[in-house]
Amino acid sequence: MIRRIALELLILAVAVLTYPGAVLTSLATRVIPAPAASPGPSGALAWLHVAHPAGGRPFIADDQGRLVLLHGAIPASLLEFGPGTAPVYPLDTAAYADRMCPANSAASRYPPLCQDDLDAMARLGFNSIRLPLSWSLLEPERGKFNASYLDRVAQIVDWARELRMYVIVDMHQNAYSHYVGAGDSTVDLSYDSGAPKWATITDGLPSHVVDKQRELNAAVLEATTNFWYDRGGIQDEYLSTLAFVARRFRDDPVVAGYSIYNEPLPGWSLPPGFEDLLLFPFYRRAIDAITGAHDGLPCWSGILMPAVCGYRDLGVDDRRHLIFLDAGLLRQVTDFPTHLGMPVSSYPNVVLSIHAYTHIFTLDNLLPQLVSKSSYPWGGYDQSYSLAEREARAMDAALFVAEFGNAPSDDSTILSAQVLEQEKHLTGFEFWPWKENGSGWGVYNPPASTSDSSGCLRASRERLLARVYPRATADLTASFHYDSTDGGFTMRGHGRPGDPATVVYVPPEVTGQVSVDDGVRAVLSQETDGSRLILASPSGGDFVIAVAPTPLALAGC
Amino acid sequence: MRDRAATRALVLGLLALWFGIFAPFAIWSGFRSWRRIRASDGELKGAASAVAGLLAGLIGLATMVIGAVYWLTA
Repeated sequence: MIRRIALELLILAVAVLTYPGAVLTSLATRVIPAPAASPGPSGALAWLHVAHPAGGRPFIADDQGRLVLLHGAIPASLLEFGPGTAPVYPLDTAAYADRMCPANSAASRYPPLCQDDLDAMARLGFNSIRLPLSWSLLEPERGKFNASYLDRVAQIVDWARELRMYVIVDMHQNAYSHYVGAGDSTVDLSYDSGAPKWATITDGLPSHVVDKQRELNAAVLEATTNFWYDRGGIQDEYLSTLAFVARRFRDDPVVAGYSIYNEPLPGWSLPPGFEDLLLFPFYRRAIDAITGAHDGLPCWSGILMPAVCGYRDLGVDDRRHLIFLDAGLLRQVTDFPTHLGMPVSSYPNVVLSIHAYTHIFTLDNLLPQLVSKSSYPWGGYDQSYSLAEREARAMDAALFVAEFGNAPSDDSTILSAQVLEQEKHLTGFEFWPWKENGSGWGVYNPPASTSDSSGCLRASRERLLARVYPRATADLTASFHYDSTDGGFTMRGHGRPGDPATVVYVPPEVTGQVSVDDGVRAVLSQETDGSRLILASPSGGDFVIAVAPTPLALAGC
Repeated sequence: MRDRAATRALVLGLLALWFGIFAPFAIWSGFRSWRRIRASDGELKGAASAVAGLLAGLIGLATMVIGAVYWLTA
């Protein structure tokens, strides 16, 4: 009898610690009241939030309830890559004051980020940037946070404010850390970034990269696994770092939100257990920590916290910013959900971030196939997006493409297909990377000499990324299409009198005549940089907003 | 003598809590073992393991069904 009771208690204990506990904790977030949000202080930009229409897919919305599309790029020069142990470019904001810009350095794969860069982004119609940060710079010594690094971030946020651009602060990592060990000749630490040295626990495993994939390294996998299992409380330190960042920008609407962890690598764990039992519960605890939501059960910290565990309020009480959650790295490789897709938190402003690298990092790329004849994904580019819509809906989260990019030679195939999918699924994007030294994927050509920060704007990028698009619309069923070959644009929607205006951005490259039908009253605003804004107020019923095809006025080379 | 299927049911049941796909097998194994042990008039042992495996299988199956229904109806 005692044996029977003991076994049943064991089963119940294991159930609590595994999927049954994880699923119940997720479902409980649907009945727990969302943490109360107070209206934030007004600023240069409207606070963004995630709207949850009844029966519809959640979406990123502004203060008038309009669907907002964010377009932007990802400058990577605030990251600390190896093999050095110090940032290549100065963190002192004085080095960037009055539009000064430090000299480009061949020691970095990315040129410095300066105020002129944000101007150039705005000229392409970007209304946001995703700003990756390194934990190794935020908390170089355990428990000691780097305020000057955040001053530098705040400087960029101020530049964005002047241009009315949002900033997504991204807690970035690549292959966990550049402190995983120089290892042998297969390891190139200039591709690795993330955790500080004290939080990189490799247990002495060798640093050796297999098949030129920086993540396929025993030291990387071990260190990553130790993070997910909270070895030595390093996950707690990460949450404290996140709180340090969030506290600084708590009242700033220019910061759209925080990306908690870039491209989470499972380490030695396997999907879907990794995502459902380690990653998404970690996200829940991160949200608990900075918003004060009380999802999950009160638990210990400092060692492995099971999926049912919540996290203590770290006193930031940030209940306005968006929280971007990257799906696991294997989702990026498969374009297929590798998690159960359950709600994460009672906090309403959650965004599911996908990284769209179809035919670049997907499994078909392991085979020598032409992109046009790839055997995978079976659903083509749309597979990732259609499934992501379903995942986002199940998680009660908005959907966003937090990262995509490709070699310039693939612009006519991959890039053009990706931006069309983003139009179709009404998602915004962030393009990786903004600029890159050497033969990379940047929006600009690499610099001809090291003294320049870049070469000229790549015309194919300008053609495809400087797009006509609705920045905000009250019609959630609207559809639109921009033809990057001739600059033609058509948007069809439906509105009621009194609905907030639809705002359509027209970049300087597009010079065609704007027309609308009787469904809207439009005001055309000519901006100083040559772009135009169409402010279309519905007068009732269906409406059409169009830009006539005209050869593009490209400035790039 | 111990019914070997009882141990199998327990192992499958524990696996079902991580991987729902094992749940039907745990239920099948646990139920059959439990019936056999009851019918053996004390000759076969392992009822506790069989019932625990059955219980774990049922919990695993319920979790899988709830997850699938939630995903399909969301």
